[in-house]
Amino acid sequence: MVTAINDDLFSQKIVDDPYTYFSQIREDDPVHWNEKYELWLVSRYADLVWVARHPEVFSSEWWKRDPRSPYPEIDESDMGLYQYVREFFSDWFIQHDRPEHAEMRMVVHGYFNPKAMEQWRPMVQNAVQSLLDEAEERGSMDAMKDFAVPLPLLVIAQMMGMPNQDRSFIRQLAEKLLFLGRGELDRMQPLADGIKGLLDYLSPIVDERVKNPGDDLLSVLAIGEKKGIYNRQEVLANAILLLLAGHETTINLICNGTLALIQHPDQLKAFQEDPVGRAVRATEECLRFDAPVRSIQRIASEDIELNGKTIRKDERLRWFISSANRDPDVFTDPETFDISRHPNPHVAFGSGIHHCLGATLARLEGQEALKMLVERFSNLDLTVPVENLSYQPSITFRSLKSLPIAWSK
Amino acid sequence: MPRKLKVTVDTNVCVGNAMCEHYASNTFALNDDRQSMVTNEEGNRESEILEAAENCPVSAITVIDAENGETLFP
Repeated sequence: MVTAINDDLFSQKIVDDPYTYFSQIREDDPVHWNEKYELWLVSRYADLVWVARHPEVFSSEWWKRDPRSPYPEIDESDMGLYQYVREFFSDWFIQHDRPEHAEMRMVVHGYFNPKAMEQWRPMVQNAVQSLLDEAEERGSMDAMKDFAVPLPLLVIAQMMGMPNQDRSFIRQLAEKLLFLGRGELDRMQPLADGIKGLLDYLSPIVDERVKNPGDDLLSVLAIGEKKGIYNRQEVLANAILLLLAGHETTINLICNGTLALIQHPDQLKAFQEDPVGRAVRATEECLRFDAPVRSIQRIASEDIELNGKTIRKDERLRWFISSANRDPDVFTDPETFDISRHPNPHVAFGSGIHHCLGATLARLEGQEALKMLVERFSNLDLTVPVENLSYQPSITFRSLKSLPIAWSK
Repeated sequence: MPRKLKVTVDTNVCVGNAMCEHYASNTFALNDDRQSMVTNEEGNRESEILEAAENCPVSAITVIDAENGETLFP
């Protein structure tokens, strides 16, 4: 029997456990019209990959093109802020289609290639080590605040050539930007405040990099401006994108991965038996099992049929990574957390031309963080009942609010 | 004469990021599944083909010296 599908994607139940919800949708109505938010939901792996690999049909320019009102609704009085926020996000390179997207991505693509990223591994290892050194004697920590947040923030700030002491200020502003996947009626104000704060902070630094470029990531963007590919506003917007995407997603990888390991003691034990040998596949399985990004949005550029449904031009669509990664058509025993799973063609980083620019960096940080955590600390466990953990009410990010853990001293 | 190369794309790994098309447009193109395929192993200079391989985000491209079998990438 087909039960009615709950369209309130921001309900606490679906936020906390998207997996049960999507196992029903995947079965009953894989391309589902969500009436409440006027939004198509794509839940099967094959459909997700098809949509992601046909950017000429499913455009990324939805902030700019979406003719509908924002969902969930916002305060009527915030429409001015909405316009401001919309214009800002439209400058992100991931909010462009070809040919502009390719040109903009090329500016930064080489910086993140696997060979270039590998050079950062020793720095990441040192950072992980010093964070774990600080925590070790205490015997417990909030894995979110004390480990998962500082690590990627340190790495991306260093890549961008930002002073270390600015990190907590940057994080405070970045947290406001995370409202972009949230449902609160008054979310436009923190979003706009976060954007303004980061623009004010970055503007003078970018001015300096345009005059005296170095080899850091901000300079790479500044050189893109000199070549005429980015204008100044785009340099700033994309610097903010890299800053945000460069840490928020990895925070979630580390926390969600740590939680998955703690909840599956047999897998944690297997990982601890051979941390170095198992780090790569274990990290991939963490990415599949509880992916840092839940879903990605597109907008139809033309009328198109997808799995028996007709999607009309200008209708918005969201594909759910957290659903596709548990699709039984692709993964054997998809609900089983198996750190030796191979092959593991998860779509945590998306697919197609917009496949995550920072995927290699995220993998590297995830591998080192999870490996060194299990290597050093035995008897890892939660210090609160698992039911007490909760997630940010976002349909974009799968972010725990905190993750208190302890180990044997 | 430039040396002959054997260039392959592992479709089990390729995610269709298509950056190879931009680095070496006469060598790589997307197939019907929107994954990369080699259209002409002599389509670009060796340095461009190696740059495409190096910039593949999932390291799906292998480049071999066709005459002596030496692996040039990875």
